[in-house]
Amino acid sequence: MVTCTCTGCALLCEDIDVIIENNRVKEVKNACRRGAARIRGCVNRLEPSVNKKQADIDTSIKKAAEILKNARSPMLFGWGNSTCEAQVKGIELAKRLNAIIDDNSSFCQGLLIERILKKKFRTCSLEDIRNRADVLIYWGSDAQDSQPRHLSRFSYFPRGEHRQHGYEEDRTAAVIDVRESSTAKICKGHFYRIPTGGDRELILALMDALSGKVPKYDKRVLELAGIMKKAECGAIFAGIGLTYSIKDDPDILVALADKLPNFNIMPMVGHYNMRGFNENLFKETGFVNRIRFEGRPVHNDGYAVVEALRQKSIDALLVIGSDPLSSLPGSIVSHLADIPVICIDPCVTLTSRIAAVTIPCAVSGVESGGSAVRMDGRVVELPGIIENNHLSDQEIMTGLMEAL
Amino acid sequence: MGIDIGKFLKNPEYEIKITTYRDIFQAEALERDRFGEEYRKLSAAIMMSKNDMKRMGFKPGDRVKLTNDNGSIVVELRESKREEPGGVAFMVNSPWSNALVSGDTGGRGIPEFKNISAMISLAKEEVTTIERLIIVR
Repeated sequence: MVTCTCTGCALLCEDIDVIIENNRVKEVKNACRRGAARIRGCVNRLEPSVNKKQADIDTSIKKAAEILKNARSPMLFGWGNSTCEAQVKGIELAKRLNAIIDDNSSFCQGLLIERILKKKFRTCSLEDIRNRADVLIYWGSDAQDSQPRHLSRFSYFPRGEHRQHGYEEDRTAAVIDVRESSTAKICKGHFYRIPTGGDRELILALMDALSGKVPKYDKRVLELAGIMKKAECGAIFAGIGLTYSIKDDPDILVALADKLPNFNIMPMVGHYNMRGFNENLFKETGFVNRIRFEGRPVHNDGYAVVEALRQKSIDALLVIGSDPLSSLPGSIVSHLADIPVICIDPCVTLTSRIAAVTIPCAVSGVESGGSAVRMDGRVVELPGIIENNHLSDQEIMTGLMEAL
Repeated sequence: MGIDIGKFLKNPEYEIKITTYRDIFQAEALERDRFGEEYRKLSAAIMMSKNDMKRMGFKPGDRVKLTNDNGSIVVELRESKREEPGGVAFMVNSPWSNALVSGDTGGRGIPEFKNISAMISLAKEEVTTIERLIIVR
């Protein structure tokens, strides 16, 4: 039995026991359904190919380099399922190519992570949550389905250092959501249903209530404000439900946080190393995503993957550890049929099916090691646990640089 | 004056609002095989409240067509097991729900994945396959 770090989501659970037999995963212990499925692996491994014909990996990498070299406006996209080491190489590659680089945070939690890195929010570690947090607000976040061990390992159920009575006495958890999510079912009695897009209105009502004004809102907002006011150590776990809803004015959440001195804000991240990419690009450019290197880094919303595809402004796309054909609006992905797509992934995806070049890679955390950044910013080591012949994302990036 | 039979045969359409969510069972199926039957079953579906289904004359297991300016898909209708006041239907985030999402983001780059308007009607066609969603429009 070996212990590995799960890359199913950005909790990066480090307590996963795996039984390996004949160099294959036989059994996974402690992981959630998603994590266990990821560690067991997919049924359709990707094969290297060029123009839909099987090729060896070196030929695939050379062809990919040729496509990127010949493109006037290439984009490198994905990165949330790659190690930090691969991401740093990818940023170098983007610089070398004068390419656009963007990641899934561009249409996910980028808005909030950027504010965390710019220190606009107070935040804390997941260990702080476990040891000290007494009021937990899951806002537009169904952790039970997206980060399934969040409540059991860190927030609601554990007996933390200063919260020895756990959820029975020491902790209050509330859910603000448009549907009665799995997390809302656990936090019975403290479920606040809002209409789709109603987050801003609730934030304004809460700010009124916290300032002693009477909000023009359902009176339950006073109850919620009361719970938040009494917190010794509170946390708002901001899910994409909240982020999408306030995307036109994310600073409204900064304004609410300013009225809650005992609260921390934690964006709930899905992809295991999305925050890693945001931090790596931020260190290099001062921005978390949507960069074009033109001798110097230029940030522009037109470099968001969604805008670049909609405006058909890129002429080649390298996708690593993401499946834009699956996760982006169907109405904009038609541009992918007109440009060469390079797909790097351990598994066959919708995007790999239309790609001009496919490059299979190792499953990070299982077949290759490295490091990653947990949703709270802590760097976590990923030991590879299975010997295999697949190249890691980092090795593929190095191969691309060499081929250039 | 004859009876307008067409009026009775016409498949009534209703406007609905759809929001998307995540489901751990679907995420597990995605990790295993995104081309598999399990992933299709857990993705190509829309959940509605009992009241909404009754109002529209639908029943659980019906196939429904969801159409808007961005696309058209056929999915299976299910009754929400959660307590829902109605007015909003729910789909797990997937290529099926994304077929209905507008690419117009007002230049901000974040689509309305969770705020979809569409028309719903009973469908004779089979549930849209994932292969059909790969065909780049």
